[in-house]
Amino acid sequence: MAIWVVAEQQDGEIKKVSLEILSKGQELAEELGVELEAVLLGEGVADLADTLAAYGASKVYLADDEQLADYSTEAYSQVIAELIEDKEPDAVFFGHTAFGKDLAPRVAQKVETGMLSDITAVEVDGDELIFTRPIYAGKAFTKSKVLSSPVMATFRPNVQELAEPQEASASVEEVDVDIDEVRAKVTDVRKQSGGRVLLTEADIIVSGGRGMKGPENYKILEELADVLGAAVGASRAAVDAGWRPHSDQVGQTGKTVSPNLYIACGISGAIQHLAGMSSSKYIVAINKDEEANIFNVADYGIVNDLFKVVPVMTEEFKKVLDK
Amino acid sequence: MTASREIYWNIHGHSLMYLLFIVALVIFGYGFYGKYKLWRIGLPEKRTDDIPTRIYNVLYHTFAHRRIFREGYPGSMHGFIFYGFVIFVIGTAVVAIQADLGLQIFHGNFYLWLSLLMDLGGLAAIIGILMAYYRRYVLKPERLDNQRDDAYSLHLLLLIVVTGFIIEGLRIAATQDPWAAWSPVGMVVGSILGGLSPETIKGIHKVFWWGHLLLAFGFIAYLPYAKLFHIITTPLNQFFSSLKPAGALQTINFEDEDLEHYGISELEHFTWKQLFDTDACTRCGRCQDNCPAYLTEKPLSPKQMTQDLKAYLASRGTAASGVSAGEGEAAEVAAAAEQQPLVGGLFSEDTIWSCTTCRSCQEQCPAMIEHIDKTIGMRRYLVLEESKFPSEVQTTFRNVENNGNPWGVGFADRAKWAEGLGVKILSEDGDVDILYWPGCAGAFDDRNKKVATAVVKVLQAAGVNFGILGTEEKCCGDSIRRIGNEYLFQMTAEENIETIKSYGIKKVVTQCPHCYNTLKNEYPEFGADFEVVHHTQFIQELIDTGKLYIEKPEALDVTYHDSCYLGRYNNEYRAPRNVLQRIGASIREMERNLEKSFCCGAGGGRMWMEETLGTRINEERTKQAVATGASTVVTNCPFCLTMIEDGLKEYEEKGIKAYDIAELVAKTL
Amino acid sequence: MNILVCLKQTFDTEAKIELKDGEISTQGIKYIVNPYDEFAVEEALKLKEAHGGEVTVISVGPERVQEALRQALAMGADKAVLIETEQDDAYATAKLLAKAIEGMDYDLILGGQVAIDDNSSQVATRLAEELDLPQVTIVTKLDIDGDKAICTREIEGGSQIVETSLPAVITAQKGLNEPRYPSLKGIMQAKKKELKKITPEELGVEVESKVETLEVFLPPKKEAGKIIEGEAEEAARELVRLLKEEAKVV
Repeated sequence: MAIWVVAEQQDGEIKKVSLEILSKGQELAEELGVELEAVLLGEGVADLADTLAAYGASKVYLADDEQLADYSTEAYSQVIAELIEDKEPDAVFFGHTAFGKDLAPRVAQKVETGMLSDITAVEVDGDELIFTRPIYAGKAFTKSKVLSSPVMATFRPNVQELAEPQEASASVEEVDVDIDEVRAKVTDVRKQSGGRVLLTEADIIVSGGRGMKGPENYKILEELADVLGAAVGASRAAVDAGWRPHSDQVGQTGKTVSPNLYIACGISGAIQHLAGMSSSKYIVAINKDEEANIFNVADYGIVNDLFKVVPVMTEEFKKVLDK
Repeated sequence: MTASREIYWNIHGHSLMYLLFIVALVIFGYGFYGKYKLWRIGLPEKRTDDIPTRIYNVLYHTFAHRRIFREGYPGSMHGFIFYGFVIFVIGTAVVAIQADLGLQIFHGNFYLWLSLLMDLGGLAAIIGILMAYYRRYVLKPERLDNQRDDAYSLHLLLLIVVTGFIIEGLRIAATQDPWAAWSPVGMVVGSILGGLSPETIKGIHKVFWWGHLLLAFGFIAYLPYAKLFHIITTPLNQFFSSLKPAGALQTINFEDEDLEHYGISELEHFTWKQLFDTDACTRCGRCQDNCPAYLTEKPLSPKQMTQDLKAYLASRGTAASGVSAGEGEAAEVAAAAEQQPLVGGLFSEDTIWSCTTCRSCQEQCPAMIEHIDKTIGMRRYLVLEESKFPSEVQTTFRNVENNGNPWGVGFADRAKWAEGLGVKILSEDGDVDILYWPGCAGAFDDRNKKVATAVVKVLQAAGVNFGILGTEEKCCGDSIRRIGNEYLFQMTAEENIETIKSYGIKKVVTQCPHCYNTLKNEYPEFGADFEVVHHTQFIQELIDTGKLYIEKPEALDVTYHDSCYLGRYNNEYRAPRNVLQRIGASIREMERNLEKSFCCGAGGGRMWMEETLGTRINEERTKQAVATGASTVVTNCPFCLTMIEDGLKEYEEKGIKAYDIAELVAKTL
Repeated sequence: MNILVCLKQTFDTEAKIELKDGEISTQGIKYIVNPYDEFAVEEALKLKEAHGGEVTVISVGPERVQEALRQALAMGADKAVLIETEQDDAYATAKLLAKAIEGMDYDLILGGQVAIDDNSSQVATRLAEELDLPQVTIVTKLDIDGDKAICTREIEGGSQIVETSLPAVITAQKGLNEPRYPSLKGIMQAKKKELKKITPEELGVEVESKVETLEVFLPPKKEAGKIIEGEAEEAARELVRLLKEEAKVV
């Protein structure tokens, strides 16, 4: 009897989301009285088993093979599905990431089971797991369960609390790897560096308007964006003034964005701007004018000079994000 | 002895004149027929209903010169020439009646007064022609482009008048005309030439008489090939001008199963009247001089569009019927036209999208040329057939489709602005006298919600029993129709009409002049039967009938911006000004006001498009408003308010504010 | 090349979500083509324009879904198939789609990377498994090179370039393209295009749900915005703390 967490690793490190799920998994395993185990795939990743153990995995299934050096849906799903069929865990968890979103459903279909995506909370009800997940872009939530076995789910990153790592070790069981055919192969991985994230794809956007007073001042927004891995946007006023290119414009006649966090600096919040960003999950407004419309839609607002606020935020984020 | 003169004095063989006249008529007829064939390329359209109104329009615009006289110099210049020649035509007709019909009328006091009048007319014409030379070749205003035809036409007119006076002078000198004083110009000419021997005079007279005759007949023959053709086509164009409300665009009948294309992409898709327009254009340039797009360096000149279309049409004519495509520039355009498509070629997409449909071109045009339907027709082609438009417009379409407003705010929130204001929502309480229509801006835009709130305050203060449709109200469709999405417009319009009718509404008050125009002028075609007024009109009515009492008038120093859709489209210039005066405001008029008001830049769907070409129209208009020195700019339209507020951000230090009239009224209660 | 596009009809993105009898109310709801699926349709049409072939759109859902299929047809797709059923389980949907697709002639299957209503991101991937096809998900750029597809796939902090043989299942992410607006010509032509309706029974698939929804609830109403008081520096620090600890967005 076991709960599995399929660990995601990159550049010799276990991704934080996997540790978050393990942290939550400890609680669940305890409540259900089952084992918490991890599955680790890759090449030359054996050392990482210790990290998984530190976050509560009592056992690590290790598939270490050159065929798994690069992620491939077909190879990874085959290994995991065979392992599931062999070991019959009760539950298999993934992160709701590009990795998990690609891999988990494929595994679920291979083992003919149900799966729930983008979990934000999970509780134990008797011997069942009840998952909470957002639907309709977070405008509603469901509590659901999986009717088949194993129970599969992908967890939203940054939601589950990270436990304190413990001095612990796990038993490692090596998994034989014998991959059939791999038809889709990763040929290159490009890290974001230098060039910033695209506005429409960014999770965080730092945006400036007429209150920026001039093109040279966007530097402070760019610095903040660099710390947050964010994109930089602009209001129409700033674009019209020629401070920013039109490709940066957020709004009715520019780009429509819906990041998790939108930081509006010196933007008054005309409807034409709101139309492009009001579906952002969290909106922060920094503006001197307390009457500015932007405060009507903001979750957090600071009525102050953005030139005083933004640099402090940048420094503070550097600290809390260890950058 | 009764006053008169011998008609064919000194002339022998005048019957040759008839032969020449026939020749002139044949040449004229050939040219006219060529043009006629070109007009017939267009689609049928009925423009002959309500003849009395149509005749009135000709009298008003041709014979009273109402639009032409709006401009001092060009107006009087044209007036001199026009009235001068009208008198000639009358005089010549009288001569013809006597000479050819034998009706003895060319004598006595009538003869004397007519002689005087014709001399004065000739003098006026000469003055007008000289003014035209001076303007065209010395002043050279930007809106005039000089072609050879312009010079020929002026030379021809001048020669006809001058030779006429010379003939008259010679006759007076030779015959010692006792009534010479009734032909003062002729008398002066006669006294100058009187020194010549009678034989010489007679000889010269003969030459000039025939010369004058040839010039006059040449003039007739030349007409269809020259801009002078407008003498015929312009009054006709006024006669055929649309009698529909200015604000109602042509409708596409989607029920028509034979409909094979939408909008205009080829000559054949214009109506005959739209093609006829091009021959009524004299290239006077009034349209261009008042076009906000042209004046802010967009690639659009209404005059050029009309002329380009004329050349394009002519090039078709050259191919089909051998009618000349004109000369010089026109011929070059024509030659190029043959190889290029109408939309995206002759007229670039940028040109087509630059129009704000402000209607100033049509309002200034003395020939009553209808520009906007043509441009919208081409937009319809781009949208409905090609799905080609500025990319940001797609969002607008989608938003109207899915949420009934161009911003795409969830439709469920449409009544939110009115929460806590005590406004009836018809689905909850349908017992109202007035439906208040805040429009998308009034319902969703924070700035314009304040205007909607002000209107509510005014209506409540006046004890009006009104309600709103709330979530049942949808975008009126003004923008999407003018962007060219006729299909989406009609669907939206039909839904709105059905909703309004289902509550038995008799009268609608709108906040926005675009809603006003669309509901009032365009919805009836789709079955609407309710009265529609703009809030400024309704407020005036409330004040006039004593229902609204202005408690605290305020001596505001304002300038008032006429919106296109209340002003030019619906001819409402008074109500807003009256209301402003009632609340104590004094108005500093902008230089471009009333029917010459300058667009804010947001009409014709431009509100939803980027303005990337040239300078910004709203900034130009704001500059004009600021120049008045007023501390407040007053608008009546949510688009104008948005655009002008945007423009005013450049003048932050001046502290000038923009308000809708309703807001100012609400403050005085 | 022949392309199949799986699409779903969803609520409009701006739709107000309300509960009625413990379920999401569909009253007054405007339905649209799931925006990510629309990217897939657009990409298919672009590929068709470049390489020829036919685009077939296929959906699973109730009768109203025809509208969404018609929209895809109006955009330029050639044929449509609707598997008419009320169920919406990812596992079953994949089974139904696979069965319907089995006999078809195709080189590529496209879909959206997620549906904005149930937020599952499962069906396309499950379908790939059912059909035993390679898959590339969350794709922001797609090039076809002979019998290969070269995809740019969005991952956290960067992107992968994935090469796959065809046929394959590829899912679209925002940024892949800008979907076209159907012309009226397209809308009129769409009315005459083939829209085939089939039922799960006809496909011989017994639909079975693998998950069960126990409860639907709305999140607590978003509180009115919080204005952070204090001096600039102090407020900035507090804001950072709130974003990290309360909102958990960084």
